[in-house]
Amino acid sequence: MTDAAATSGVTCLGCGLLCDDLAVSVAGGRITGVAPECTLARAWFGDGTVPAEVRVAGRPATDDAALEAATELLAGARGRLLAWLGPDLVTGAHRAVVELADRLHAVVDTATSPAAAAGILAGQRRGRAASTLGELRNRADLLLCWGTDPSARYPRLLSRYALEPEGTHVGGRAARTLVGVRVGADAGPAGADLSLALGADEELAALAVLRSAVLGQAPAELPAALVPFRELGARLLAARYVGILVDGEGGDAARRPQRAEALIALAQALQHATRATLVVLRAGGNRTGAESLLGWQTGYPFAVDFGGGHPAYLPDDRGLERLGTPRVAAALVAGDWRALPDAAVAALHRLPTVVVGPRASTAPFGPQVALDTGVAGIHEAGNAYRLDDVPLPLTPVLAGPRGAAATLEALARRVAHRLAEA
Amino acid sequence: MTAPHRLRLRGGEVYDPANGVDGAVRDVCIEDGRIVAELADDAPELDVRGMVVMPGGVDIHSHIASSSCNHTRRLLPEEHAADPAAAPLLADGSAGRSGTGGTVPSTFTTGYRYAGLGYTTVFDAAVAPLMARHTHHEMDDTPCIDAGCFILMGNDDYLLRMIDAGDTARARDYVAWLLGATGGYAVKIVNPGGVEAWKTPQRNLGDLDTPLGTTQVTARKILETLTDAANGLGLPHPVHIHCNNLGLPGNAETTLASMRALAGRRAHFTHLQFHCYGAGGGWRSAARELIEYVNGHREVSVDVGQVMFGPATAITADGPVGYLLWKSSGRKWVNVDVELETGCGIVPLYYKDKAAVAALQWAIGLELFLLSDDPWRVVLSTDHPNGASFLAYPDLIQLLMDRNARDERLKTVNQKLLAGTALLDGLTREYTLGEICIITRAGPARLLGLRHKGHLGPGADADVTVYSRQPDLAAMFATPRYVFKGGALVAEEGHLRRAPAGDRLYLRPGYDDAVLPGLRRHFERHGTVRFEHYPVRDLPGRPREVA
Repeated sequence: MTDAAATSGVTCLGCGLLCDDLAVSVAGGRITGVAPECTLARAWFGDGTVPAEVRVAGRPATDDAALEAATELLAGARGRLLAWLGPDLVTGAHRAVVELADRLHAVVDTATSPAAAAGILAGQRRGRAASTLGELRNRADLLLCWGTDPSARYPRLLSRYALEPEGTHVGGRAARTLVGVRVGADAGPAGADLSLALGADEELAALAVLRSAVLGQAPAELPAALVPFRELGARLLAARYVGILVDGEGGDAARRPQRAEALIALAQALQHATRATLVVLRAGGNRTGAESLLGWQTGYPFAVDFGGGHPAYLPDDRGLERLGTPRVAAALVAGDWRALPDAAVAALHRLPTVVVGPRASTAPFGPQVALDTGVAGIHEAGNAYRLDDVPLPLTPVLAGPRGAAATLEALARRVAHRLAEA
Repeated sequence: MTAPHRLRLRGGEVYDPANGVDGAVRDVCIEDGRIVAELADDAPELDVRGMVVMPGGVDIHSHIASSSCNHTRRLLPEEHAADPAAAPLLADGSAGRSGTGGTVPSTFTTGYRYAGLGYTTVFDAAVAPLMARHTHHEMDDTPCIDAGCFILMGNDDYLLRMIDAGDTARARDYVAWLLGATGGYAVKIVNPGGVEAWKTPQRNLGDLDTPLGTTQVTARKILETLTDAANGLGLPHPVHIHCNNLGLPGNAETTLASMRALAGRRAHFTHLQFHCYGAGGGWRSAARELIEYVNGHREVSVDVGQVMFGPATAITADGPVGYLLWKSSGRKWVNVDVELETGCGIVPLYYKDKAAVAALQWAIGLELFLLSDDPWRVVLSTDHPNGASFLAYPDLIQLLMDRNARDERLKTVNQKLLAGTALLDGLTREYTLGEICIITRAGPARLLGLRHKGHLGPGADADVTVYSRQPDLAAMFATPRYVFKGGALVAEEGHLRRAPAGDRLYLRPGYDDAVLPGLRRHFERHGTVRFEHYPVRDLPGRPREVA
């Protein structure tokens, strides 16, 4: 890399949109600019500096010594190991971790949030009515933001993918209708053509009315607060292609199971008379990729337990929840430890741990082995998955420390060799 | 333990129809992963006297590695929980990888189970171009089989624009570029124009000549343009067609019209059984009419898409079909519209032998096999997992080879819609081992243009399956005695011995670079992925030759 340079066509993992059109400027070995302007992109790339250390028991070590120590620790915990897949890794790194987990009969947990997990489980009960993001861009003449203001957590959603672009079958902003529904504290978008508001406790009833209206079965008598949703149902039916946007992360997790299923049911009901897609917005990194890879290797998208010698699905008994119990004797943290919940970080203080990922050496819980790596799409090439399951190549913009994929693959080879010898 | 680089399979009953061998007792010699004419006398040998030796199976139409398959896996945790697959212990003492089964097994388990069945080459028949990178990720994790994929083009926005403009030359260049960009092996058409219509108020195309929206594009033009493009490019496999109106009563008329539209042009019509329902209201078989056409037209080939009783899952790019299945079954349903290209519909199914329509579908598939004049052009598939899992192939082979078993099974199924089917006319045909070899390996390999597969002549890939003769034909074909992949023993009586990575089968046809500027503009205006990020790079191996 030259001292001052700009790389175009960079894919950003700052949120699940994975915009792949960024230009990233570099000078003096640091990132100095990201265009177009996006707060999440700026935060994701930062200045691009990461530590490049290798530590065993807190002391500097060679790669070889660290990998040997990690192999010893992980193989010794076979059957009582937690492997955590961080979101800031390329798919190749995730692949190596799942192989390790399989061979070591570990439980695999991921950055799939409880709210997103609830949505996945709802999909497993009912199915999905979905699309890739380009269908929003090219077809959606009505966008319904349900308890979501995309500008905060998905800054370029409306400008790049949904509302403003000229699509193949629909014009730009003027040709589209934007409807925002505020749900409790979850705001809708600014500038909506129609804004509605609900209390959090009214949400499920409103979704039921909407679905009934779409199916032509809305009751004639409704509480006043729900009447607008019957009318909204008529507007949805009049659209050619409805895009329902909902944030799959954060919010009040307790009400998500019913909400997620009700939204799926609404999107499916719309298919009788028109077309619709429910786009579940997901946070940054390659978390969708982790779910995808687990899906093809195990059949399950998250919460996979290899303890019985084969994959088992335990969405109600996920790995991180086992930290601090006798069922977990050691942990492998793959990815930036800062994405772990606080409770997990606290529990890892009491557990022998191997950390392989960006900033591993800064982990506050005193890992037995720490191998710093680069960050996916900043220092490391590979692939990551957009929130709609579209895989994209990643272009590194900076030289960095060792790659996470290569390091974890080396660890997987050593572990396999160790187990074959045993 | 390493695989010997030379091996003589001594004294087997060899079926190699591509080379005119029909059960002759002879040796098969393997050296460095290939079949050779002869080996020195001191070469290691394996005694296979009394056993049946065939080339490794070649599956021309399956769904094993795609974003649609992965949506399906994630939709059906209950199937996986009921069918866990522990990591196999390999011959060298190492462990393979664990996984899960069900109608769409996880990737490692898919590779292992195909190999255990004696299949060594498999094609995924429906890959959205935008998702091709995902397919290759899955294939990277599907060992023991050589794999390739067919690329969905029959509803592609750019292609439809070229057809609308009457620019067939540009369409052909685009086909070539897209195959190369996606690492695909063949052109796939699913419900031409109908999937695009599904995304609009038009919702589907009912016939070959209804225009798509306000354009001049029709299903007929899509079929003609892509067929001519594939043949003009000299692709090893012709265009692979899933006709309009799949699964609908009376659809045989559309299927015949599609075949006639392409008369004289090489084309493959897939899962014909699902397109074989007669006109006149209600459900009835049109197998006789369709197979008569196929028998009389050498440019046409088909795979059957046999339904077998039991669990299945509809996985289709045919979005409107997914909707109809959901509406009629009330089961869970996934629909995914893929921008500018195609769609995806997924519905879990169960074919009951006491259900009249399922019994008719089962019977139609058998009719197609049994009325076929030319096994080289009417080959075996269940459209895994749409008609049944690939694991049902042995049961299907038994039905084809054993009239008594077939007649006994026929008595147990719902008879309501079977009147008029050839099965009730007492079809006596029994497939021979040579014919089974044709419809499961030699025929598909020839149709796919795989010159090194599907036969045991010198130079062929040393993919060989050895069966112990058993009175129970289903058991015989379910558990081969030995399976060799590239000369290495990968499975033995249902036990996995090795799990080598398979080869990737893909093409990179030439095209006129003049197509690129317009294509780039198309991506910039309408796509959400940058043009330079679209092509899949770093595929293993090298592309196959294009004539």
